[in-house]
Amino acid sequence: MTTIVLPYMLDFYPLQDEDNTRIHQFYASLREGKLTTTKCKDCGGLFWPPRVACPGCNSDQFEWVELLDEGELYAFTAMLLGAPLGMEKDVPFVLGMVQLDGTEFKVLSRIGNTKYEDCSLGMRVKLETYDLEDGRVWFRFVPITSD
Amino acid sequence: MKNVAIVACGLAPFGVRKATWRELVQEASKAVFDDVQNLDKKDIDSLFVGAAMPERFAFQSHVAPLVAEQVGIVPHKVVTRTELACSSGQSAVRTAWASIVTGLSDIALCLGVEKMNMPNMLETQTSMACVLEREWDGVQGASAPPFFAMCAQRHMHEYGTTVEQMAMVSEKNHHFSTTNPYAQFQKEIPAEKVLGSPMIAPPLRLFDCSGITDGAAAVILTSEERAKEFTDVPTYIIGSGQCSMASNLANYKSLSTWHPMKIAAKEAYRSAKIGPMDLDFAEVHDCFTISEIIEYEDAGFCEKGEGGKFIEEGQSNIGGKMPINTRGGLLGTGHPLGATGIGQIVEVMQQFRSTVPKERLVDGAEMAMAHNLSGAANVHSILVFGRSPR
Repeated sequence: MTTIVLPYMLDFYPLQDEDNTRIHQFYASLREGKLTTTKCKDCGGLFWPPRVACPGCNSDQFEWVELLDEGELYAFTAMLLGAPLGMEKDVPFVLGMVQLDGTEFKVLSRIGNTKYEDCSLGMRVKLETYDLEDGRVWFRFVPITSD
Repeated sequence: MKNVAIVACGLAPFGVRKATWRELVQEASKAVFDDVQNLDKKDIDSLFVGAAMPERFAFQSHVAPLVAEQVGIVPHKVVTRTELACSSGQSAVRTAWASIVTGLSDIALCLGVEKMNMPNMLETQTSMACVLEREWDGVQGASAPPFFAMCAQRHMHEYGTTVEQMAMVSEKNHHFSTTNPYAQFQKEIPAEKVLGSPMIAPPLRLFDCSGITDGAAAVILTSEERAKEFTDVPTYIIGSGQCSMASNLANYKSLSTWHPMKIAAKEAYRSAKIGPMDLDFAEVHDCFTISEIIEYEDAGFCEKGEGGKFIEEGQSNIGGKMPINTRGGLLGTGHPLGATGIGQIVEVMQQFRSTVPKERLVDGAEMAMAHNLSGAANVHSILVFGRSPR
């Protein structure tokens, strides 16, 4: 079970288990290194983030689909000053919008293993998942290296 | 549709205030009631409080009755709070306007307030991250500066906008705020100083960003029929547009064109039966320098991609094609979220009354607009005002 150290109202990460969210499958897949989302079985609509009711056709029938785990930087910057509580130790960190291959989604993510100066528009990145100290899981993207 | 007028306005000074949330409320209340003639507080039947995050900044919810008591009124038609992050103040005015149009309310007080400076700045910064979609975007460490930094990056990439042009926006608005004793920032900030200030989120530096501000502002609205009882120069609401598009950043069409703003502006001009250049001046939401540049374009004051040139040519200054943010904007005045939208409307009213200092007066102005964006620029709210009713 998750033990949250910060007061819950100062905790940024979503509660991930089935006692707390109906999209717990997303986090279970993330733990296996897969980025997934829901696809509506009735209208075929693909939405990010995952849904439990379709904003397109009002269906509640979904299937989980795996998304491609690579994309390119549509935009990026770095947080140098003013990071929220719990993230001060990470400063400076790079943030970017990743145009995910095969979708129209520009997923906002930390861009790890790099510095702002080494990033460029269009740079190829791939998904990397990691465990939080309290047992939850999260994701970021990292540059794809040539080797 | 019934014409609605703003008949009084008042401000609490914006800044890092040695005052609590409720004291800011009282200051704005005193100012607006000092400004109005022939109004008995008993005749105010409705109250709309614009407040973005009192739960997080002042540990207080259910704020409308608290404001009613501080002000000394017993609203008995409508009493509510409006929350739309950075547009919470304009939301109060929009809602009051709708209530008067329907005939439900006769006289409404709109009071916007925010107390953002806390003993630990980290708490304020943490709360600001929940203005974005916290579970997916805020969680990654995103907040306003990184978002607008990426807008700047895309605008520079697509249209060749420069950091020097962005710095000119800051210089202009800080210059205007030196004429405004209610503004947080009272010193000139030349463009070179902007370009030499600490980097916050590249390419945005400290003086590309609006401040963390305490402040309050208030206006009183009534119908056209009653307006002249309370002021010689009412400010009429003559048009409106508002649009919300996407929330999660993944679903944005563009960072360099704000599509919801284009939709809101089109509807605002249509409802006012004007074109953008019929306006004599505009208050737009310059939370960051890049915001004002994109807004010149998406409001239709210049062609897409020419916002940088617009500031460089001085077109947004007094004497230019469209004077923008004459009170000093958010960059110069500060940005107390719930108060900002009403603070802009105070400027419109004082311009129409010709009571602003001469150096920022838009002489003979008849029409103006006030624009706010909220969150990560996914909601845009515009009201159009006239010195005369429609």
